[in-house]
Amino acid sequence: MRNWLIGLLIVGFVSVLGCQPQDKNTSETQKAQKELKVAVAAPFTGNAAAFGEMIKRGAELKEKEINEAGGINGMKLTLLFEDDAGKDAEASLVAERIANNLQILAVVGHFNSSCSLAGKPIYQRAGIVELSPGSTNVTVCEGSDWTFRNLYRDDFQGKFIAQYIKKILTDLESVAVFFDNDDYGRGLRNAFVAEAERIGLNLVASEAYDRDNTDFKAQLTSIKAKGPDAIFISGLYSEAGLIVKQARETGITAQFFGADGVDSPDFLTIAGSSAEGTYLTTPFTFGAADAKAQQMAANFENLHGVAPDTWAALTYDAVGMIADALEKTYNSEASVADNRKAIRDHLASLDTPEEGYNGVTGLTYFDLNGDTVNKPAYVKIVKDGQFTAADQQLRELD
Amino acid sequence: MAQFLEQIINGLVLGGIYALIAVGYTMVYGIIQLINFAHGEIFMFGAYIALMLITVFGVPFWVALPLSMVLCAVLGMLMDLIAYRPLRDAPRLSALITAIGMSLALQNLARMIWSARPRQFPDETLPTIFLSQNAISLPGGATLPYRDVFIILLALVLMVALNRLIYLTKIGKAMRACAQNSVAANLMGIRTNRVIAITFIIGSALGAVAGVMVGLREVVTPTMGYYKGVAAFAAAVLGGIGNITGAMLGGIIIGLAEVFGAGYISSGYRLAIAYIIMIAVIVIRPSGLFGKSTGKRA
Amino acid sequence: MKNKLTPKNILFGLLVCCLPLLMYGVDRIALFLSGYDIYLGLPSGDYMLRIIVRACLYMLLAIGLNIVCGFTGLLDLGYVGFYLIGGYTAGLLMARLGVTYWVALPLAVLNGALWGLLRGAPTLRLTGDYFAIVTFGFAELLFRIVKNEQWLIGGPNGLVRDIPPPAIFGLTFNQNWHNYYHILILLAFVVFITYRLENSRVGRAWVAIREDEQAAESMGINVSRYKSLAFAVSAAIGGLGGAFIAQFQVNISAPFFEFWESILILCMVVLGGMGSIRGAMIGAAILGSLGEILRPGFIVPYQFGNARYLIFGIILILLMRFRPGGLILKKA
Repeated sequence: MRNWLIGLLIVGFVSVLGCQPQDKNTSETQKAQKELKVAVAAPFTGNAAAFGEMIKRGAELKEKEINEAGGINGMKLTLLFEDDAGKDAEASLVAERIANNLQILAVVGHFNSSCSLAGKPIYQRAGIVELSPGSTNVTVCEGSDWTFRNLYRDDFQGKFIAQYIKKILTDLESVAVFFDNDDYGRGLRNAFVAEAERIGLNLVASEAYDRDNTDFKAQLTSIKAKGPDAIFISGLYSEAGLIVKQARETGITAQFFGADGVDSPDFLTIAGSSAEGTYLTTPFTFGAADAKAQQMAANFENLHGVAPDTWAALTYDAVGMIADALEKTYNSEASVADNRKAIRDHLASLDTPEEGYNGVTGLTYFDLNGDTVNKPAYVKIVKDGQFTAADQQLRELD
Repeated sequence: MAQFLEQIINGLVLGGIYALIAVGYTMVYGIIQLINFAHGEIFMFGAYIALMLITVFGVPFWVALPLSMVLCAVLGMLMDLIAYRPLRDAPRLSALITAIGMSLALQNLARMIWSARPRQFPDETLPTIFLSQNAISLPGGATLPYRDVFIILLALVLMVALNRLIYLTKIGKAMRACAQNSVAANLMGIRTNRVIAITFIIGSALGAVAGVMVGLREVVTPTMGYYKGVAAFAAAVLGGIGNITGAMLGGIIIGLAEVFGAGYISSGYRLAIAYIIMIAVIVIRPSGLFGKSTGKRA
Repeated sequence: MKNKLTPKNILFGLLVCCLPLLMYGVDRIALFLSGYDIYLGLPSGDYMLRIIVRACLYMLLAIGLNIVCGFTGLLDLGYVGFYLIGGYTAGLLMARLGVTYWVALPLAVLNGALWGLLRGAPTLRLTGDYFAIVTFGFAELLFRIVKNEQWLIGGPNGLVRDIPPPAIFGLTFNQNWHNYYHILILLAFVVFITYRLENSRVGRAWVAIREDEQAAESMGINVSRYKSLAFAVSAAIGGLGGAFIAQFQVNISAPFFEFWESILILCMVVLGGMGSIRGAMIGAAILGSLGEILRPGFIVPYQFGNARYLIFGIILILLMRFRPGGLILKKA
């Protein structure tokens, strides 16, 4: 009986503590901190793990560079990696875990659009910045002051590809879309189709496929019967590689296009020689980038032994932007909430080209939603088994 | 018309693959009335084992293929021995849940060992006949790789051989006896456990061949067994579960239905077509198209 | 069920009722102890509450699945289908039509029950493996429909977005502790209903059907009717869970309702012992939070995402082999 009473007392005492007003975020100040912590949330397991791996490497490179250069105002930057497995249910748990850890000042992530959307309400409630280096879904930044991204949106990307075909590759008259039947593939497809109709590109077929399916010949055969000059694959690299390969077996000679989801070295290994001549758009390509990016690529190879990809570069920049914000705004006397807010305010103030952050992937500045404005898309082409920047780039969109 | 012909060929190749997998389901079900969910995983392991033998150990393809069959046969036998045999007299639900657990465990084991990243057989390690550029040219620019011809032929040959085995040999007779009534078969001096083990061995070896063929044609991933397995299971149900010839025909029908559904109706529902057929068959005619209507099909 | 007001029960009740306060209290103690100087790695109160809310949701679903799997002895591999229907019914009603949660919730439950009956009708004759396969196919079909039919689920991306939180008299319930009490009430309601059902004529009829369908029939039990009832109740609980997750997650999309979710819930029921409500709840509490408990401490954290299902698979095999009655020993 006495034990129960003691138990009861403890429960009661702790509960009373919990009853006190929730002022932890505002009144308690942080003691002098030697480390500044930033979380990186991405899929390190699951089907998108290949992306997560590069994100982690890109982030680690920036962390190392910052700390070797003396840290942020003398304080060490520490990254905490959290795995969302590319699933939204996991992502919301991870978001809660991060948002309520009062040592974490900002979040770089998530990668999948659905994960960014799952985290959005939680980050908003807790008041912590979510800066995505990979979510291109149109709606990711809408309705929250705390969500940003440093790359373009799907509607821009779809529009861009349609206009690129229309303006630069003028001999391609009819196009077909072959899209992954999920949020990414469909969103991109819809943007592409809308723009194709607007600018008068002749869309002859639109077929879907499911991820994890590995035989695409049925759909490819019916696309072939429509005889398109170009086929836009709106999906991810692993399926795209197989599609290109099987399309050649099916006797399709059309020009292939892909978007940023195809932008992975694995595309080349899977497709083999069939990948030759495939065009793809990407938020960034090392081939068309400046010396700073080449330097980053060299450092990346030194550290990790592999060449960086687009996602590594974008994460590298996202970590850089957060570090930059911390350097300019971090006040060790202020509360966590204020410091988190200061980062947000700093990012939100990057709203003109002059204010923008100049990273390896180009100039990043935001509109009112937190979407990146006017960041160009690049076009790459597969030549001799390598991604190289296409000869002609498209700079201006209608 | 050319498109129609090409789709038929696509469907036949796919159907041949399904048939090879479906046999494994149908044989096991015929004898111990268990849906061996893990059969799809055996198929996947077949592909990975051959891939590892070739890429890591440098074994030539024609050695790797039979070796992979043998290893998968052992795996199938072990699976029966460890997981299913102790449950022979337990409620059917227990065995079914065990099968699901087995499938789950094997699939994620593969994911841990080999990661989710799709892998391919490197071109230079394959016999030249299996390379996709070696193909019969079809009118309309399409090609039919010899590899795909090989898949259909192999499916046919193995089916005939299996049929002979079941109807002409002693062990085949024992299998049929066990399928009809395993208790009575046991009383007649047939060692049922051995017959069941042999069933697992044959089914798993055929599954391994199918796995390698799919690996050659497409890619090797940890989930390949799941998706192909479900369609193959639908084929087994369609053909009348327990009926080997039926499983083969069912495989071809499912393959064709999937291809034509995706090509002419709606590509988004491609994977759903097998489910629709399967549900329709179970609800309307549980004994399948080619099965005997025994009345009690549980 | 004999309820006694023993100190143990009182303490348990108090714990359940004050859990959010307790969590926030622990949070504050941890803050005080660590003083921000050292990172204790202790999860925060909100994070723990979210895990608990999710575990409670799984308890609810496990109880629902247990009605078909445990009481009537049919293996349902497509339970997630009803969860999906509830989620999308509530989500679409609230996000698109602006229906308040308090109306959307019962509608989702009704819709779940309706689909339970619809699915039940053609499968009444089936038992064992064939029933399992049809239910599996049913859930996969629904999953495909949600992925494909944009006109229905709208949006450019197959998502139901920005589902508003429940609100009444100007108060909105979107904090974690709101959700905790919310799911607690739903759970209590479901537990109450299922306990009453289990110990009634209906429950006894279900068990009779599980033990021997033909014998039950000959004893004058209307098997079809009782089976249909089991399907409907089970599906309604699934719909309830779906409605809850819709407002809890704010954005829902197809991947929430994957086949593996069905298997996970089945694992929970099996772990706790099929046919036992308490077992289903304990199974759900263990498996529903295991992943998060292991998250910080696991040696190879990034492999764990895959190891988790490997472990689930092994649990299923071992349980069936050595403890077919589940961890909570109740005669099955």
